[in-house]
Amino acid sequence: MRIRTRIATVAVGLAVCLSCLVAPPCAAADGPLQVAATLSDLACVARAVGGADVEVTVLCPGGMDPHYLPAKPSLSRKLGQADALLFNGLELEIGWLPPLLEKARNPRVRDGAPGLIDCSAALDAVLDVPSGPVDRGMGDIHPQGNPHYTVDPRRMIDVTLFVGRRFGELDPPRAAAYRDRAEAYAALLRGRLPVWQERTAGLRTRHVLLNHQHWNYLCDWLGLDVIGEIEHRPGIAPSPRHVQDMVEKSRALGDVVIVAANWDHLDVVREIASRAGASLAILPGHSGAEAGTDDYVAFLDELTRRLAGAAAAPGKE
Amino acid sequence: MCTRIPVAILIALAAPALGIAAASSSTVTGISSLMNPAISVNALFLGETSLNDDSDEANRIGLQEAEMQFTSVVDPFWTADLVIAYHQEAGHDHGDEEAAEAGGAAAFVTDVEVARIRARSLPAGLGLVLGKDYLPFGKHAPLHTHQFAFTRAPLAVRTFLGDHGLTEVGARVEATVPLPWYSEVVAYAVNGDAEIFDAHDRDLAWGARWTQLWDVAPTATLELGGSLLNGPGAREPDGPAVGLSVSGLDLTYKWVDGGQAHGPAVVWTSELILPDTAAFGHEPWGWYSHLQARFRRNLWLGLGASGIADLPHEEAGPDEVDAGSYRWDEYRLDLTFVPSEYSSLRAEVSAIVPQSSEADDLRFSLQWNFTIGSHPAHLY
Repeated sequence: MRIRTRIATVAVGLAVCLSCLVAPPCAAADGPLQVAATLSDLACVARAVGGADVEVTVLCPGGMDPHYLPAKPSLSRKLGQADALLFNGLELEIGWLPPLLEKARNPRVRDGAPGLIDCSAALDAVLDVPSGPVDRGMGDIHPQGNPHYTVDPRRMIDVTLFVGRRFGELDPPRAAAYRDRAEAYAALLRGRLPVWQERTAGLRTRHVLLNHQHWNYLCDWLGLDVIGEIEHRPGIAPSPRHVQDMVEKSRALGDVVIVAANWDHLDVVREIASRAGASLAILPGHSGAEAGTDDYVAFLDELTRRLAGAAAAPGKE
Repeated sequence: MCTRIPVAILIALAAPALGIAAASSSTVTGISSLMNPAISVNALFLGETSLNDDSDEANRIGLQEAEMQFTSVVDPFWTADLVIAYHQEAGHDHGDEEAAEAGGAAAFVTDVEVARIRARSLPAGLGLVLGKDYLPFGKHAPLHTHQFAFTRAPLAVRTFLGDHGLTEVGARVEATVPLPWYSEVVAYAVNGDAEIFDAHDRDLAWGARWTQLWDVAPTATLELGGSLLNGPGAREPDGPAVGLSVSGLDLTYKWVDGGQAHGPAVVWTSELILPDTAAFGHEPWGWYSHLQARFRRNLWLGLGASGIADLPHEEAGPDEVDAGSYRWDEYRLDLTFVPSEYSSLRAEVSAIVPQSSEADDLRFSLQWNFTIGSHPAHLY
């Protein structure tokens, strides 16, 4: 048995020597800025603003619900190499980003470091900020307000300009390039706004029932009439009573479109749509969630196309 | 080596923070609450009944453990965690033996389980932890009770590492190994207070762990870990000093359906524990394997097995597999309802099967758990 101890001791000794001899990777002074983004939407912005001056890594793939990303240590390895971290903020990543940052041990993206970029700081207004007492009886609510602003392109214009400024502060020699690309991308998004709004105009005469508050900013931007949420306490499965209430409410109002993300539990969503005779729009939750939506503009194109399709085809998915 | 704290001290410790937290940041006292630590409380209850054992210990319902946790940034250099636990003493690795004897299995102690500071920014990506903490041996021993896959630790872990993990005072250094996959090495030196060590010996205990983790698919990982723990071993009074060494190997596979929140998920963990001591005169070893699967939004099914073998046994029966030693196996099956991240309800059936003349033990358990306050996210 002693041989086991010796083997283990030698193995650990080798690992210690290896980790001490080789310094952890860090950014080259003249190389591209290493950027990690928690969400694929923020990664799109980083790529658009950074161009060839950045290399971008996404922590939460577009097809995964960002509330529940497993905090894999391999993600902390990516964070350990980052010069900048773009995160959504408003506690969206509270369940996995703190332990990843802890494990990453990277002072460039720790609290207070210039590389730690909270994109919610770019927002003028946050929706759904609780006005009264907050407790967990209300479900997994976010005390600082609704964090799902990336589905609103108006707010992402602000985020783009903000990221351009922050990249410039991190990498002053290329600040002008970051600013120019940020302004160009913001102009591109501004130019698409009327197209997307026009495409979804038919939805403004309908009522919208959301599965989760993921789409509140989208509805705010498009001026849609939201009649409620199927998941009436965020993160908690709806009760049979609430499901029945939503069916009855949808039937009474008529002309209802139910909007859900592709990662939601769709059984109950489809049941309500079927019983209430409502249209159903199942949308990619973030860019990259489905093929052809890797770019943020393509993602918004697809979102608005599906919403328009649901508005034009009552009672269908 | 118990750290026993009277309840009054515990309350006194918590009260100022709780009192300030109840007020807003601009309080009538003029004291800001903004710098208060994150505070959380977790309580775990367990009801058990045995078909074969009519003792109070095997047929009871009560508190299994309550933990109060404080976490805060200390200053630009350190983050601190304090975990105060109130739990059953019997089988614990550090506690008041007198209390256990006086109250039998139901005796409870209050215990500082964790009191540590973590360095916030060391050069070269190094991590440093000072204070009292769980030793990073294997996958199960570092877990808090409310993180267990089943109502109790696996038989092999209970036998060789204690029922409640190993918490020790000392220093730990962590470093990421620059390999193409995630690789971390941890080395530590501690006081050697845990039950498995010789309390009379003043030598330090030390150990290390090396973890490798591969992303075998976008939402699946395979983790391989090796652990080593060395310290002063138990010995007879006035007998020669002997060393105790425990090595371990663990393998964990995790998969989650990335396309659906709360969708199907699988966690499979297996661990081999190899104590190595001349005092035993045998070559004991133990193992466990746990499989957990989320098959519906809020429901997990668990299947576990554990075994110990070649443990020295002076009173071996005539039908022992190996005269002078014995072997036990344990099987567990549970169903856990998890309505949210902050509560769970578990039903479990477990069987311990000694391969000797002793009778099997078949138990049915019900465990429930809740967490209130700002509880830090668990590690992967």
